[in-house]
Amino acid sequence: MAILVDKDSKIAIQGITGREASMVTKHALAYGTKIMAGVTPGKEGQSVEGVPVYDTLKRACQGFEINTSVVYVPPAFAYDAVMEAIGNEIPLIIIITERIPQQDAIKFLSTARRANCTVVGPNSVGVITPEDKVKLGAIGGDNPERCFVPGNVGVISRSGGMTAECAWMVKRAGFGVSTCVSIGGDTFIGSPPREVLGMFEEDPKTKAVVMWGEPGTKYEEDVAEFIKKKGFTKPLIAYIGGRFVEEMPEGTVFGHAASMIEGGKGKPSNKMAALREARCYIAEKFNDIIPILQKVMTK
Amino acid sequence: MARVLENVGKELLRENGVPTPDFLVASNSEEARSAAEKIGCPVVIKALVTAGKRGKAGAVKFAEDPDEAAKIAEEILGMTVRNFPVDRLLVEKRLDISQELYVSITYDSSEMAPIIIASSAGGIDIEEIAQAQPEKILKYHVNMLKGFDLYEAKEIWSDLGVRGSALQKATTILWRLYKLFVKYDGTIVEINPLAVTASGEVVAAAILMGVDDDALYRQPYLSDQVEAGSDRAWRPLTALEKEMIEVDKAEAYRGTARYTEMEGGNIGFFCGGGGGSLLSYDALLRFGGKPANYTEFGGNPPEAKVRGLVKGVLSKPGVKGFYMNLNITNNTQTDIVAKGIIGAFQELGIDPRKFPAVLRLAGVHDAEARKLCTEAGLEYHGDDITMEDAARIIVDKMKNAYPEEAD
Repeated sequence: MAILVDKDSKIAIQGITGREASMVTKHALAYGTKIMAGVTPGKEGQSVEGVPVYDTLKRACQGFEINTSVVYVPPAFAYDAVMEAIGNEIPLIIIITERIPQQDAIKFLSTARRANCTVVGPNSVGVITPEDKVKLGAIGGDNPERCFVPGNVGVISRSGGMTAECAWMVKRAGFGVSTCVSIGGDTFIGSPPREVLGMFEEDPKTKAVVMWGEPGTKYEEDVAEFIKKKGFTKPLIAYIGGRFVEEMPEGTVFGHAASMIEGGKGKPSNKMAALREARCYIAEKFNDIIPILQKVMTK
Repeated sequence: MARVLENVGKELLRENGVPTPDFLVASNSEEARSAAEKIGCPVVIKALVTAGKRGKAGAVKFAEDPDEAAKIAEEILGMTVRNFPVDRLLVEKRLDISQELYVSITYDSSEMAPIIIASSAGGIDIEEIAQAQPEKILKYHVNMLKGFDLYEAKEIWSDLGVRGSALQKATTILWRLYKLFVKYDGTIVEINPLAVTASGEVVAAAILMGVDDDALYRQPYLSDQVEAGSDRAWRPLTALEKEMIEVDKAEAYRGTARYTEMEGGNIGFFCGGGGGSLLSYDALLRFGGKPANYTEFGGNPPEAKVRGLVKGVLSKPGVKGFYMNLNITNNTQTDIVAKGIIGAFQELGIDPRKFPAVLRLAGVHDAEARKLCTEAGLEYHGDDITMEDAARIIVDKMKNAYPEEAD
């Protein structure tokens, strides 16, 4: 068991012929992930690392029962690519593309919600389930085992890079991960931490979750509320980065676009207080994740 | 977000059918005098800067005649409004206002929808209205898939008690403002006040507007008028920050970077990832380090870009150490990053053996990165240490190298 992606994932990659997408396809195949098809308009008949390319997702779906699509197209075409995935009733859409206009993101995310499609991203580095050797996106690069080994800890991160670093801390503590989800650093994303925690709650494989939070948004506060209402009952270990941002003039952005403190809202100190009140484990230092995990996992 | 200056915002309003007072831009007192003559007094003179709350800063004043306009222009042109020096002014017709309304359109991230905030008590900060007269504020979420219809705008003003011809006019204006917000990929459009004049006209007396940086590619008109990322600093960009934007732009599609200058400090900060840089900075402060700047980079930058960025980081006066901390990379090639850093040290003639420096650089091709750095004399760490460990190492090095600078 895992969340979002597992051995039953039937994967298509939209924009597969791009430079980064073809490299990622190569790494994913080498890891053991099965990628059924790719989509790039005008390039049907070609193949990328042996994966057949189709002009439309509809044509790819005629040959394979695609249930997961990874969007790798440039920002100007991302809106249409996501709408194409929703139109073809793909239940899980993972959007890697960065710098998509906000207006486009709101429109496709609202449409996906109505169609009951789950969206991860935009601006996600990917999702990985090591036990099933499934990885989507650049996550783990050419050496996924360095950070991602199978185990019972879930990872949720607003930062792509810190998804790997969190999983590596889990490994250093002597454990492994069930599924790691890079949810994306944008203001408007399909699967905020609360939603992903709901999935981890249902997953018997996951015994605890490590979460990387940042300034801005209400995501961490929503998580605290969710835990108080018993939506998530397993141990949650959280680290909130960017505490120095509170000392900077308001409205200044460091890191991701969403990590902005506005009108006194989105402060890391408030997020940590809310999570503490909900009885989460707060890692004061990032290094503290290791001893906390060791304590939590051996209980 | 990129901030739009008021003259540009007002031109957009007029083009899109929203009335504004007549205005002209002036760069000195003589231009202000002749602007006042052309427009006809009384006039309002405003600092033309992207900083908000100009009125409170004393950068919005009235003039009864052209001489007074020239005198006031002189005063405001010497001012600095929230760190932004005033080099231009907006001179506009002073309205005879009978009622001040307020309206803004922005995105509500928790509802994932545009939100319209309107009030029948405009003219002051919306925060103040919310405190003093919360009953005079109305919030309305727009269904972006459906769009915003005229009747919805009418209901908003009607519920706020606006009546008669003002209701009709304010309705059309709000409907057009929403269209403008969408058309120009706005992130905020705020009209305060939306003035009802003594003669019954409804006029947008002031506009505050921001647009989505990531949509500038499809806004050719605006992309020439605004500075991308202009909201990311609390003051105008410094010369070095502007240079670093050019370094980043030179190869726009490979690797992204952003450079921000901090006050004082002695550690050149070149750290990776949106999240990784936050952690690196927090850790540095916790251990007592003094960062001189903040550079975050990611997305597999080419060697020349890394070299250019690191040269910038090291060239800020007062920088006496170098701290590079990166989360274990998913796709960024660490050997390329290492080559760029080594190249920057060489070009600047800095001997890494005599200059406190630490790199924590693990991930794709890191065996090669380790080899290159070790040969060059740079202290290299891969995934043998954590990111926080790397912060402690540079802080200790700085304390040993410059004991007189330690607190």
